[in-house]
Amino acid sequence: MTDSKKNICSIIIAEKIDIKNMPSNLDIDLQILNDQISGHVNVTKSEIDPVIIISNLRKGNFNLNLNIHLNENSFLEMRDESEYNFGSKIIINTKMNKNSLFEYFRLNNFLETTKNYFNHEIEISSNCEFRDFNFSNGSSEMENKTSVSLNEENASYIGSGVMISNSTNSKSDLFINHLSKSAKSDCSFKTVSRGVSKVSYSGKVFVDHNCSKTISNQISKGLIMDEKAKISLTPKLEINNDDVVCAHGAASGKPDESIIFYLKSRGISHEQAEKIYVEGFLGEFLDKISNNEMQQKAMKYISTHC
Amino acid sequence: MLNIEKLNVSVEEKQILRNLSLKVGDGEVHAIMGPNGSGKSTIAHTLAGNPNYEVLSGKINFNDKDLLSMDPSERSLSGLFLAFQYPIELPGVTNASYLKQIVNVHRKHKGDKPIEAAEFLKLLKEKSLKLNIPMDMHSRFVNAGFSGGEKKKNEVLQLDLLNPDLVIMDETDSGLDVDALRNTSEAVNQLRSTNRSFIIITHYLRLLEYIEPDFVHVFQDGSIIETGDKSLANKIDQEGYAY
Repeated sequence: MTDSKKNICSIIIAEKIDIKNMPSNLDIDLQILNDQISGHVNVTKSEIDPVIIISNLRKGNFNLNLNIHLNENSFLEMRDESEYNFGSKIIINTKMNKNSLFEYFRLNNFLETTKNYFNHEIEISSNCEFRDFNFSNGSSEMENKTSVSLNEENASYIGSGVMISNSTNSKSDLFINHLSKSAKSDCSFKTVSRGVSKVSYSGKVFVDHNCSKTISNQISKGLIMDEKAKISLTPKLEINNDDVVCAHGAASGKPDESIIFYLKSRGISHEQAEKIYVEGFLGEFLDKISNNEMQQKAMKYISTHC
Repeated sequence: MLNIEKLNVSVEEKQILRNLSLKVGDGEVHAIMGPNGSGKSTIAHTLAGNPNYEVLSGKINFNDKDLLSMDPSERSLSGLFLAFQYPIELPGVTNASYLKQIVNVHRKHKGDKPIEAAEFLKLLKEKSLKLNIPMDMHSRFVNAGFSGGEKKKNEVLQLDLLNPDLVIMDETDSGLDVDALRNTSEAVNQLRSTNRSFIIITHYLRLLEYIEPDFVHVFQDGSIIETGDKSLANKIDQEGYAY
């Protein structure tokens, strides 16, 4: 589906909202009222996959409240590659109906001085998959919350977060609720913390008592590059059914000097060795992105920010 | 090419090498044998500049340069190559991308342009074929999930790509099966030349049956206690280090 023909629809949000090239299977309604942008996106089945590219060009705080509805058998790819030069508060509620697929890419640049808040609650029905990828560099005060409810059989969540923090702060919380049997979740979080950064990540997977055949993987890893940089990783599992396969792991620490030495022993300078190592560390899970174009952009994002 | 004089080295405050002296001339192959803990890997890592190995005293001259004053990357660019006993894993970096980067770092040092993608692929295919390395190995992350044999072959591949003057092979034979040992040794033999020298660290005679050394040194307690020709390796193989 991801390599098939696509219809690119742009939503440019400045002092006004400009929607370009909206296909017939998308219904987008957005309004600005007193600096608050609100509205909905409704997606129905189509032969051509719709891609929404959101561009934030506002010269002030960005406050968005968005409801997304994917109807049965529909597909939506949504991208936000904006630079956030001001504060932001984004609240999204998504409902996915049977056999739908939603890919959401966020590759954003934030300033060290702003406050940024993001909250996404998503309800996932049977045979649906939500693919959620977030690449960020943190800000003065950043909060990312994602709450996923896998409500029906064979609902699936794939998520990958990368936080490259250069004297910025961020707090990320991911809640995955397995509320039906045979649902899957696979989430990874990787971070590099430099300067006086503070990065925290909390990932909780809850498996309800009737959720047999659940498969869940959760991994979080961090690299602490400087003495004053901090990382806190907290994976949690609450399992109420015996017929499940669940794994979680978390690790943070300083760079492995034996890797740096190995690279230097091949003629690579210390600075370049560290860059290769960190880029590799952050890029370990990029193969989760099946969309080639976005995988390349994610690699570029990592390379640019490392 | 290499002149080590009265070298004393410690690791984690424990002295390992004691007054070690060794000369390696152009094109020579020196084998170092010795029991576990005798300092074989210590000399390898000291030559490569591993910061965990502290040089207490002594001198190392490499191609008329003071090796000990050089950073590990400078040592590599000056023509020294260590094939690791335990090659590290580098998740997130494909082997092809890594190999291309190290080739380009050496080309840049020589003032050459970066290698073109097509030219690199051709070179990689040619070198991989010699070592019986399948090309799909290069799309995997560096050494991650490689078998012991694949890791060692990857070390020899890097040696072939970088064309060093001095090669230190730290137990390259461990982890190789009989066929892989033959392939790898043949590749190494093809790389022997009058201006390339080798220091081969090994426990076993079998590697030296393929790569014939000019000198065999026996290490004990951080020093060379005996030097001879290949017959010394035969003697150790038959009688052990307590001969």
